[in-house]
Amino acid sequence: MRRSKVPLFTTLGFSMIPLMGGLFMIILKDPEAARSMGLISMKAQIAAGTAEWSSLFNLLTQAIAVGGFILFGIVTSWVFGREFSDHTVKELLALPTSREAIVAAKFVVIIVWAVTTSLFVFGFGIVVGYLVNIPGWSMELLRAAFVNIIGSVVLTIMLLPFVALLAGIGRGYLSPIGWMILMVALAQTASFMGWGDWFPWAVPALFASSHKDQIGLHSYMVVIIASLIGFALTFNWWRNADQTR
Amino acid sequence: MDYAIETNNLSKFYGDVRAVDQVNLRVRYGEIYGFLGLNGAGKTTTIRALLGMVRPSEGNAKLLDQAIGPHGRGPWPRVGHLVESPSAYPELTVRENLDVARRLHQIKDSNIVDEIMEQLAIASYADRKAGALSTGNLQRLGLARALLHNPALLILDEPANGLDPAGVVEIRELLRTLAHERGVTVFMSSHILTEVDRLATRIGIIHKGKLIEELDADKLETLRSLRLEIKARNIHDAYSGLQSAGYKPALQDDMILLEEPRAIEHPDDVAGVLVRAGAPPTHLVMRQQNLEEHFMRFTRS
Repeated sequence: MRRSKVPLFTTLGFSMIPLMGGLFMIILKDPEAARSMGLISMKAQIAAGTAEWSSLFNLLTQAIAVGGFILFGIVTSWVFGREFSDHTVKELLALPTSREAIVAAKFVVIIVWAVTTSLFVFGFGIVVGYLVNIPGWSMELLRAAFVNIIGSVVLTIMLLPFVALLAGIGRGYLSPIGWMILMVALAQTASFMGWGDWFPWAVPALFASSHKDQIGLHSYMVVIIASLIGFALTFNWWRNADQTR
Repeated sequence: MDYAIETNNLSKFYGDVRAVDQVNLRVRYGEIYGFLGLNGAGKTTTIRALLGMVRPSEGNAKLLDQAIGPHGRGPWPRVGHLVESPSAYPELTVRENLDVARRLHQIKDSNIVDEIMEQLAIASYADRKAGALSTGNLQRLGLARALLHNPALLILDEPANGLDPAGVVEIRELLRTLAHERGVTVFMSSHILTEVDRLATRIGIIHKGKLIEELDADKLETLRSLRLEIKARNIHDAYSGLQSAGYKPALQDDMILLEEPRAIEHPDDVAGVLVRAGAPPTHLVMRQQNLEEHFMRFTRS
């Protein structure tokens, strides 16, 4: 992961979130300058509200929740799918190290990267907010934002095994990316119809949003069940599937 | 007797396609077994089944007296393999790729990577990214990975693929040394029949999924022997005439073959017998058979 361009570019992409948030805050802070920019100012107001810490934290939390699913999914798709695209999967077989250990190690790397990157982006966002000098800071706000972000990241990570499974079954990157797009679409539909709290892939974004009160124990349960099924299917596939690549 | 490789009715079907069909292999310890077949004959599928990479549809396999079980169970600390074209992580260097392999083999001594790079003549490429390697050097990297843990059994799919002539000789000598001096068993598939002919102590020919022939070293030697090829307008009179003169002719298509020393040493006497029998030869040639002719004859029929 250190060498590859995939985690580097996804981390850089993720880092755009606090930069964009900072830009919106700058625009909202100085309406005179914003008015002279015209259309940009109007869009910033719709997205972020007012130029203060609560708006910035909201923006960071939502973007990490939604962007996280896409970016963590891309990295998971790459970590598992590249073995098929590069034909290196046969070098992971017929070894003293079991297939289960290899799959577990890949998940550990993905989880560590996802948590580290999310914390980095959150920290970067705080630095940007400090540099832009927006009002309304409080430790309570920071704590709440931190809990929201970590919570949605953990919930998102729990749903990554299906991406890994599809990278194996599809023998590459494309199937899991298609899966991710489908899940985002279904999550949006479920949320729109008021069933988001029962659809596992809608729960992380709901957790990070202002509709968090819709989530109950049942929501966490469906995510846990989906996660366990995903892990079980992934491990089982790697143990039993014919590897002809 | 224990065998290094033993398969019992090993079969692999993909729908109606019988990629491997009731293959019974017996490879003794210390042998160099050449596994020959045309493209699509089932060589690589057999190798993948031996390594637990595909599950057999029927039958079973044992390596080093251990059954190849479900979930890829097998005696992997003692088996090295190179399957199809070698692959490596392109963004990692040669050294880093071998280090990953070392850790997957649970070898603690990191010096072994330098040793194997020297042995396979890729030390000068140690810090080059694998994605920038030539085909030949990538093949050497694949072989290095197969040999890294000093295996007792080597299963190699086209080991000389992509190598220049010097590299082919180098690998041949390496495998011969491993087999003769260290008792390593080598099971290799190959298209380069001349190389198998020079190296193998036993060969198996697989065709359309079936193991159609196995030849031991002494039979291989017989194959390499000289023979007299005879054609005549009246082939049957030629045949009877030679039989009457005490020869042991063999009829193959439209040709008579004589392999006995008397015929090889005195082909002029054979010509005389044919003329007296009223069947003068239209073609009388001394030829040394080779594995290629034998193989092509088997796989064409």
